[in-house]
Amino acid sequence: MIDVEAVTFRYPGAARDALHELSLQVPPGCLFGLLGPNGSGKTTLISLLTGLMRPSAGNLHIGNARHASPRIAVVPQEYAFYPRLSVTENLRFFAGMHGLNTTSHPPAIARVVAATGLEDFRHIRAARLSGGLKRRLNLAIGLLNEPELLLLDEPTVGIDPQSRSFILDSIRAVNAAGTTVVYTSHYMEEVEALCTRIGVLDQGQLIACGELQDLLRQNRNATLMLDLDAPPDAALRDALVQLAPLTIDGSVIRARALPHNALDALLACVRAHGVGIARLQYGQSNLETLFLSLTGRGLRD
Amino acid sequence: MSRIGHLAAKETLLLLRDWHALLLLFLMPAAFILVMSLALQGQFSARSGVHIDFYLLSHDSGATNAKLLHELRSLRGFRVLPASADADQLAARVRAGKVQFLVTIPAGFGAALATAMPKPVDIVATPDVPPAVYQLFQARLRATLARLYLTRAGGPAIATAIKAGAADKLLSAHTLYGRGHAGKLPSSVQQNVPAWLLFAMFFIAIPLSTTWVAERQQGTYARLLGMGIKPATLLIGKLIPYLVLNLVQVVLMLLVGVYLVPLLGGGQLTLGHAWGALALMAIVASLAAVSYALLVANLVSTSEQATIFTGVANLLMAAVGGIMVPVFIMPHALQTLSHYSPMQWGLQGFLDIFLRGGGIGMAWNEAAKLVVFAFTCLLATGLWMHWRRAK
Repeated sequence: MIDVEAVTFRYPGAARDALHELSLQVPPGCLFGLLGPNGSGKTTLISLLTGLMRPSAGNLHIGNARHASPRIAVVPQEYAFYPRLSVTENLRFFAGMHGLNTTSHPPAIARVVAATGLEDFRHIRAARLSGGLKRRLNLAIGLLNEPELLLLDEPTVGIDPQSRSFILDSIRAVNAAGTTVVYTSHYMEEVEALCTRIGVLDQGQLIACGELQDLLRQNRNATLMLDLDAPPDAALRDALVQLAPLTIDGSVIRARALPHNALDALLACVRAHGVGIARLQYGQSNLETLFLSLTGRGLRD
Repeated sequence: MSRIGHLAAKETLLLLRDWHALLLLFLMPAAFILVMSLALQGQFSARSGVHIDFYLLSHDSGATNAKLLHELRSLRGFRVLPASADADQLAARVRAGKVQFLVTIPAGFGAALATAMPKPVDIVATPDVPPAVYQLFQARLRATLARLYLTRAGGPAIATAIKAGAADKLLSAHTLYGRGHAGKLPSSVQQNVPAWLLFAMFFIAIPLSTTWVAERQQGTYARLLGMGIKPATLLIGKLIPYLVLNLVQVVLMLLVGVYLVPLLGGGQLTLGHAWGALALMAIVASLAAVSYALLVANLVSTSEQATIFTGVANLLMAAVGGIMVPVFIMPHALQTLSHYSPMQWGLQGFLDIFLRGGGIGMAWNEAAKLVVFAFTCLLATGLWMHWRRAK
């Protein structure tokens, strides 16, 4: 759906490229998470994809086998609608801007109102909506033209968990209906729960890209945390320390860079001493850890 | 409905929802027209019964002096105050603005009047005297002195005195405004309604530019561009409702001049019979004002900039364009500059209709200038939008 080939973009007067020879592919139907610290180039890439700006160098192609110019919609980070207009008035206006004719307006508006749960707020002015409802209206406007490519720029900033969960469900449903979605967010758990494929941008360059589970597996954490039912007695302690370098603090046993076979041996040893296991954590990696390991902990813009 | 139709409908709704701004837009010029028409009634009308006070000090004696004193005490619309203090004290009072003028007749005035070297009567005006009032006062004094001069000098002496330029030396005036202007003065209402109406029309730049700035800041402008809406479509979508709003404003303000001002004791605005010319001027003046507003809206970055820029620029245009001070009493340089003020073109166009009995044939020149100005603004706006997008 998206084919970005060696794209470079620099803002006038800027000291460095906002995007530097960036190449990226997003397959059709994908729910793609675009991550990156502030100033990494995410919004710039979205602006290039929507045609608001043109790349200084490189090629950018959007299309699929069915349509050379698919319907695109962008849901910006800002509340990009008119606060003095009601929900329906906003939707009617943007539907008109999409060139939807008067007969197709009501179904289109009813569809997006239902998809974003705005049925009870249709006649309320946008300025009076809560933060969560504003985000939903912002998304609803983006769904009016039944986009084949939906670009979402941090669509859940500053809202409560319920609204966030609703918006994520809506996005999943849109994606399940066949829309390719590019989703940018700073909420890692959100991206991890939503996206199947991710790309990580840093300083205008793509530093990682691939299936989310593959990337997590490659960066798995081989640290063990084993919490026993009771602190190990002297015999068990002696047996455990001979199996692997580990630390024991009360009932909690910790080991770094523990190989698979050593884990099996440790568990067998615990069971042999008749001690129960209360909690076990091994090999888990989350997106936040992966993100920080890729981009570092240094503060950005 | 077309995209432009949707944009115009949206803009109309936004305007109707901001009723504070609308109220200001309509009430401000109405208040201007009422206040200025009534306040300036005395300046423009000789039958109002308002008197301008002045001190009269004479160092001369004799029959000519007595006649001049009598004439000056009988000046219509002006009143001599008793001058019990000395010259310096009287001048100080005039300087402080307590009295508008001090007129001093020099010693030997009567004796020198018929000679080639007359002694001029001296006028000192308060610094903030309204220029039109000062013009009128000077004119009255000149006429009085000229009559005396012609009575006193007779036969061959006139020719000698005129040859020596004596008539020009009869009056000495201390003022920056010394330029007279032939032709009739507009009445208070006739001048003020179109003048303040034009002033108000150009203030449309404030709501228009603040709305546009908000759209840019909220991201709706980028969203619309991202949806493939062309900048020209956005421009036309804004232009249409604001043009209609401005025309509504024109109609309401003319109605204020025709009906409300007379109710409050002022004169009545006479619209004349050139309805076609009036409609033409209203449309082209609105087009110029809205096009100018669109340019301002694109040049500024914040609402604060929009408000301050529009306020100051409009005041300057109004000052130069004869809205606040009639052009005929301006210094020469400003008079030249006024030829380039769109407000002056609009004002002259309306005055062609209201005062000079003209129609399209008389107003077309000003109308054409306003159309050229409007299209220049629209072109500049389009180029600016294109340049910013490319940037």
